[in-house]
Amino acid sequence: MNRVVTYGSVLIVAALVQTAWLARLPGVGAVIDPVLVLAVATGFLRGAESGAVIGLAGGLLQDLLSGGPLGMHGLSKLVAGFGSGLFERSIYIENPFLPAVAAFAGTLLGEALLNVIGVVTGLGSVSWTEAVPRVVIQAGLNSVIAPPLFRGVRSLDERFERQH
Amino acid sequence: MFDVIIARRRIAVLVGLILFTLALLTSQVRSADRRQVGPLGTAVLTVLLPIQTGMAHVADAGTRWWRLYTEIGRLRQENARLRSEVERLSQDLTVVREQAISARRMERLLEFRPQPGYRTVAARVIARDAERWFSTLLVDRGSRDGVRRNAAVATADGVIGRVIEVTPTAARVLLIGDSRSALSVIVQRSREAGIVEGRGGEMLHLKYLSRTGDVAAGDLVVTSGLGGVFPRGLVVGRIVTINREPGALQLEAEVKSAASVARLEEVVILIAKP
Repeated sequence: MNRVVTYGSVLIVAALVQTAWLARLPGVGAVIDPVLVLAVATGFLRGAESGAVIGLAGGLLQDLLSGGPLGMHGLSKLVAGFGSGLFERSIYIENPFLPAVAAFAGTLLGEALLNVIGVVTGLGSVSWTEAVPRVVIQAGLNSVIAPPLFRGVRSLDERFERQH
Repeated sequence: MFDVIIARRRIAVLVGLILFTLALLTSQVRSADRRQVGPLGTAVLTVLLPIQTGMAHVADAGTRWWRLYTEIGRLRQENARLRSEVERLSQDLTVVREQAISARRMERLLEFRPQPGYRTVAARVIARDAERWFSTLLVDRGSRDGVRRNAAVATADGVIGRVIEVTPTAARVLLIGDSRSALSVIVQRSREAGIVEGRGGEMLHLKYLSRTGDVAAGDLVVTSGLGGVFPRGLVVGRIVTINREPGALQLEAEVKSAASVARLEEVVILIAKP
C-alpha cells in the first residue's frame, strides 16, 4: 500500500509538473516527459508488469490533466514501460549510460505509438517530416533527465526492499 | 517452467492492460467531444486541477518575470544604442550647423566688392592676440598666397586693418582699433578728410577734421586712398559723436567701427596688383 501511495504521488507530481510547467518550455514542440521516463525506469528496474502499470497510470493522469481523450498517453506509455521491462535482466543496469539510452529508446517507441494511435482513432494526421525531428529532440531531452529519475526510482525501490 | 509462467503472466498483464486501455480509448473516441472522464476521473480532477491551476499561475508569474527581465536587458541595450546614436547625430548636427554658419559667413564675404587694381584673398582667422584682444589677429594666408606687408584687410562690412607681419603660411593683421593704427579717411557725404586712430576697442578716434567742415553724427567714414595702404572707398565706420571744443583749431569725432572684430572668423586680404 505504501509503495502504491508513494509511486502514485511521484506520478501525480511528475504529471502536474509536465502539464503545468514543462509543456510551456520552448522546444520546437518537444516537451520533456518525466512520466514516460519514470515508466521506462520502473520497467527496467522492477520488471515489465510494473513498467506497464506505471506507464498506464501516468499516461492516464496525463490524459486527464491535458484534456485529451483518456487512453492515448495511457496506451503509449503502457507499451513503452512494458517494452523496457523486457530488457530487465538482459542489460547490465549499472551501466551509467543505460538511463539515457533507455529513455531515448522508450521515448521513440512511446511517441511513435502515440502518433499511430492518433491516426488510427482519427484524432489527427501526422506529418512525419515534422514529427521525426520533434520526437528525436524530445528523446534527447528525456535522456538528459533520465539519470536522476532512474536514481530516484532505484533508491525508492531499495528503501521499500529494506522495509520488507 | 518458472520462466514460462512469468512470461505468460507478463503477456496476460500486457494484454489485459492493453484491452482495458483500448476499451477506454474506444469509448472516448465514440463520444461527441471525444472525452468522457467519468466519476473517478472527475474526482481525480477535482483534487488535481486546483493544484495544476496554482502551478500554472506560478509558471505565468515566472514567465512574466522572465519576460520582464529579458525586456529590461533588451531595453538597456536599445537605450545604449539610442544614446550613442543621439550622441553621433548631435555631433553631426553640430558639424552641419557649423558648416551652415561658415557658409553664411562666406556668402557675406563674397558680397565684398573687389577694388580696382587689387585682387582679393579670402583668409580664415586662426588666432587672436590673447593679451590685447582687439589689437591683432593671425590669418591663415601668407606670402605663399601673395600676401604682403601693409596689405589691407577687410570684410563685407568694412575695413579691419592691415598686415604687419608675413610668414609663408600666415600673416598678422594690425586692427584699426589698435592704438598703433592710423589711416587716412574722408567723410563720405562732405568729403572732409581726417585721420582715424585706434583706441583699443571698436570705437575709433577721428581727428584733423576742418573746424568749419560739414560733419554730422551718422556720417559714413571711408578710406581716402591716400598713404598707399588702403584702397579708396572702404567703409571704416560711422560717426557717433562730434567734439566741438571752443578754441580748438580742428574738429574731432568718435567713430564706431563698421566691421565688428569680436566674432570675426573670415576676412578678405586686398593685394595690390603689380
